[in-house]
Amino acid sequence: MTLTSSRPLLAASLALATAVALTGCATADADADAAAAADPADTVTYSWDRNTAGEDEDPQFEATTVEVPKNPETIVVFDMASLDTIGALGGEVAGAPLDSVPDYLQDHLAADAFNAGTLFEADLVAIEAEQPDLIIIGGRSTALYDDLSEIAPTVDLSIAGSFQETLERNTTFLGEVLGAEDAAAEALAELEAGIEEAQAATAGAGTGLGLMVSGGRLSAMAPSEGNATGRNARGGLIYDVFGVEPVVEDVKAATHGEPVSFEFLLEHNPDFLWVVDRDAATGEENAQAAAAVLDNDIIKQTTAYQEDQIVYLDPTAWYIVFGGIDTTRIMIEDVLQIAE
Amino acid sequence: MTATAVATTSTPAPARPRRTWVGVLIGVLLVVLGIVSLFVGVSDVSVATLLEGGADGTAAFLLVASRMPRTVAVVLVGASLGIAGLILQMLVRNKFVEPGTTGVSEFATLGMLVTIVLWPGMAIMGKMAVAAVFGLIGTWVFLRVIRAVPVRQLVLVPLVGIMLGGIVGAVTAFFAYRLDLLQSLGQWSQGSFASVMQGRYEYVWVAAVMVLVAWVAADRFSVIGLGEDFATNLGLNYRRVVAVGMVVVAVITASVLVTAGMIPFLGLVVPNIVSLIIGDNVRRSIPWVAGLGATFVLACDLIARTVRFPYEIPLSVVVGIVGAGLFLWLLLRKGSRAH
Repeated sequence: MTLTSSRPLLAASLALATAVALTGCATADADADAAAAADPADTVTYSWDRNTAGEDEDPQFEATTVEVPKNPETIVVFDMASLDTIGALGGEVAGAPLDSVPDYLQDHLAADAFNAGTLFEADLVAIEAEQPDLIIIGGRSTALYDDLSEIAPTVDLSIAGSFQETLERNTTFLGEVLGAEDAAAEALAELEAGIEEAQAATAGAGTGLGLMVSGGRLSAMAPSEGNATGRNARGGLIYDVFGVEPVVEDVKAATHGEPVSFEFLLEHNPDFLWVVDRDAATGEENAQAAAAVLDNDIIKQTTAYQEDQIVYLDPTAWYIVFGGIDTTRIMIEDVLQIAE
Repeated sequence: MTATAVATTSTPAPARPRRTWVGVLIGVLLVVLGIVSLFVGVSDVSVATLLEGGADGTAAFLLVASRMPRTVAVVLVGASLGIAGLILQMLVRNKFVEPGTTGVSEFATLGMLVTIVLWPGMAIMGKMAVAAVFGLIGTWVFLRVIRAVPVRQLVLVPLVGIMLGGIVGAVTAFFAYRLDLLQSLGQWSQGSFASVMQGRYEYVWVAAVMVLVAWVAADRFSVIGLGEDFATNLGLNYRRVVAVGMVVVAVITASVLVTAGMIPFLGLVVPNIVSLIIGDNVRRSIPWVAGLGATFVLACDLIARTVRFPYEIPLSVVVGIVGAGLFLWLLLRKGSRAH
């Protein structure tokens, strides 16, 4: 009871991103008029609506435009999806909250990468000492803007709008910043094709249910309906992005899905169970804790179990990072398991 | 004229039929809610489907695999948590303590976290044992602190306990945060019976055994409630009885935590209501506390199951709202001794 999740923060970032989506002003392009003042060859302009209110306040939005140097030498990243994309586009990151970097993104860090703090608290002294050219925040680290923007140009690449919109916007922008426009376009085309292939695989496969298993409890996930900012999106992406037909339509987007019983699974009996194992997201040794939870007599009666159609999704990709290039590749592969 | 004569000669008598009546009411409610609980759920389990045999006997299967375990777990958890509160109140001689306001629950939670981090593959029985040991340490620390701090004001004792729990809870949250387990911790420590089924609830029987122990030692706990000097003068081994009480409280807390998570207010509210009805004799109040606790949790779990059907809301939310209301009523009611 005394343990609370970071709900105020979530609410703030959700509201922020919703507003961004509504105004649709998160453009990564160096617009002619915006870039007129500066030398268009040397900077990229990025605009978004920034929430200037505290995390427990009603959101107050302020249109924010930041000029970002092209080919920055020293980049500090607090947003894991951006770290993923920068690395996939051949860039390297000088600093990040090292404790939060998942294993498969470690390669994207410079060999001597420094620890920039945590997602919630930046190590301002260390960052200042490195004199970065660009700082990228997003999601949980959104609140760091005020402090970090005094050190270097800081942009917020939080999710805004749908998953695909965010992926395209951020990849295009980072491609431009890194001078890797072609690689970015190529990656986007590849991911688009991959998602289409995955959609084709799920199309005739019957109904599915996104299920999060955590601490022995089950939560049914809901479609996020084009707004991928909610935490529910993490399980909801299976419907939104990959076209799985939800076995129940009315799962409301609660913070972490809706608590359900084993009986619920048997009664609605989806053809596929798409399981995000929250406990396994934290380490290899805990992997497949969900499998133990789902190993019981009621589950054994379900179609998904009997047809061997319980699909375990990569928890780090689906739950923690999502939105970067390599991460999306992993997600596509996860879904394509059912095509084999 | 005759009426006044009767009233003066038999003052305690009028209360008795009322008590019996309340007792019968609780008993009937418990049985009715227990039966209702068997037939409320996502799948269609009813007398009709049971008699039909259903398609390949699904209804009967669910009754045995899901509904009965859940109902039994709810009843045992409700009964034993009430008893844990009652015993703790006797040990501390304070009406405002329960595992949740003395840091015992938080210590047990820390124990669970330790097992999850160090021995993730450990069987649930082992996890429960470790949680119980931590709960025991928690009870001991609380009793020591209460003894060291000369607070005899009623409300200060649970306040000290809540502070203690806050510190331990913060330590737990810190490690859970560092290890990326905060979400999991929140999930399993949140009270809910949603994932209870055959094979996942049997640990509450340990709590039931503890209720029996409490019953056997009931008179001793009554005496303990009169104070150490008094108890020792009566020839009671004070320390031993306190130790038994600590074990009962810690084991009940741990087994409930493993099965259902944390359930607030219950251990506080139920013994107090029973004490209002029949007084402080532990032997007499144990069945009352157990029955009322079970009825209370059954009712709350039914609400949790049906409010957002077919989804569930966490039981701890329902208990929190209802329990907090009852707690306020106990505090503010006319003639309350808490002021």
